[in-house]
Amino acid sequence: MFKKLIAESMTKSPWIYHVNTGSCNGCDIELVACLTPRYDVERYGFKLAGTPRHADIVVVSGPITSQSKDRLIRTLEQVPNPHCVVTIGSCPQSGNVFKGSYSVEAPLEKFCEVDVAIAGCTPKPEAIIEGLYKAAQILKKKREAMQ
Amino acid sequence: MPEFVSNLLNILLVALHVLVFPGLLFAAVGGLLLAGIDRKVLARMQRRVGPPIVQPFYDFFKLMGKETIIPAAARPGIYQAAPIIGMVSLSLMMLFFPIFGHSAAFATKADLIVILYLLTIPAVALIIGGSASGSPFAGVGISREMVVMLGYELPLVMVLLTVAKKVGGDTMTFALEDIAVWQLANGSLLFHWSMIPAAIAFLLIIPAEVGTQPFDVAEAETEICEGPLIEYSGAPLAIFKLNTAMKMFVMTALFQVLFLGGIDLGKYWLLGGAVLFVISAVLTVLCMTFIHAITARLKVEHLFKFYWTVVAGLALVSLVLVWFGL
Repeated sequence: MFKKLIAESMTKSPWIYHVNTGSCNGCDIELVACLTPRYDVERYGFKLAGTPRHADIVVVSGPITSQSKDRLIRTLEQVPNPHCVVTIGSCPQSGNVFKGSYSVEAPLEKFCEVDVAIAGCTPKPEAIIEGLYKAAQILKKKREAMQ
Repeated sequence: MPEFVSNLLNILLVALHVLVFPGLLFAAVGGLLLAGIDRKVLARMQRRVGPPIVQPFYDFFKLMGKETIIPAAARPGIYQAAPIIGMVSLSLMMLFFPIFGHSAAFATKADLIVILYLLTIPAVALIIGGSASGSPFAGVGISREMVVMLGYELPLVMVLLTVAKKVGGDTMTFALEDIAVWQLANGSLLFHWSMIPAAIAFLLIIPAEVGTQPFDVAEAETEICEGPLIEYSGAPLAIFKLNTAMKMFVMTALFQVLFLGGIDLGKYWLLGGAVLFVISAVLTVLCMTFIHAITARLKVEHLFKFYWTVVAGLALVSLVLVWFGL
């Protein structure tokens, strides 16, 4: 009984932890726009968490600069299971316009498993909400796989 | 043999009181619902749709299903015991409240003093748990939590003293049953004009006790990453979140017992009492939500100054008025 309730709750209350790895701030603004009254992702139970220990979904934006790589890996290691990693924008997927730079380590797939990748420079809030919603469904599957 | 059976029944009855009716389950469900109403109304005040009212239940069950990480720097025993200590003291507190004609499960001669001690334990549990987690952010958080505690404890003691003096006269009564009986005879304490400043002071203490904005300095998630809770994950975090919700429920119930006990329902005490309980709990929480919606977080020193001047001043006004027999 509780197993089913817990698995169902996974999709209803995913808490987000946001990591900026050298993003230009565009994607960060769009993510914050999702939390504002206009889009209001809190109606699906999404909430910004203050620490990676409370997070269910880690949102990564930016092309992963060499300076931020180690910190990003350390942050991802602190997140309790089950958790998802979501990338926002083209930067963590391919490096975008920064590709080939000596100080950029994208794509993120090199360092961890990415569950949902939201493309665009920058993606619209609607696209981000859809991506986060898909991540919440994956969270439930991961929880069921844990048992 | 019959003596043995009646002893056993008594123990079972006490266990039922602690775990189910006025205790753990009742306070947990009520508290989580109040927290849901708080979040929904806050969202509507900010012109958002907001989460469903049962959202805190989803949060609780989700956290129950997460992995519990114990950091290498933490003391595992204390780290895991702290949230449970808080939960136990909060569910015990519900047993002392006589609510609208429903008599309390435990009645003593010094309920108010017991409640004062039980109320500090959840905050102390947060401090112990935070300090056992070994994180520097938690260190900042617990020092702030201590300042907040010092801030609201003084006015709280003064409000309780005022109630005791008003009801008991020269002898000062600390029994909640006596306070309920006195209010039935003389009308609710909220409607005695000399008690109104004390009631306002008590309403201002609730947000600090629960830790909502503008008094959430200890768990400021944007500055110090949720303070004492920073390292917690999984089930212990779920219980800490439950404690916050239960604190909200216990404080609203205490407000009713102290200030709104004077409504005589006669033979409709069961249904009428339940309805009145729900209405006044929701109204008390709405006062808190309203303050939350219109303010930003205070600094620690401003919070302390606010509680020791404005709130303590309001309580003092009532105390002096009551002392002169008004």
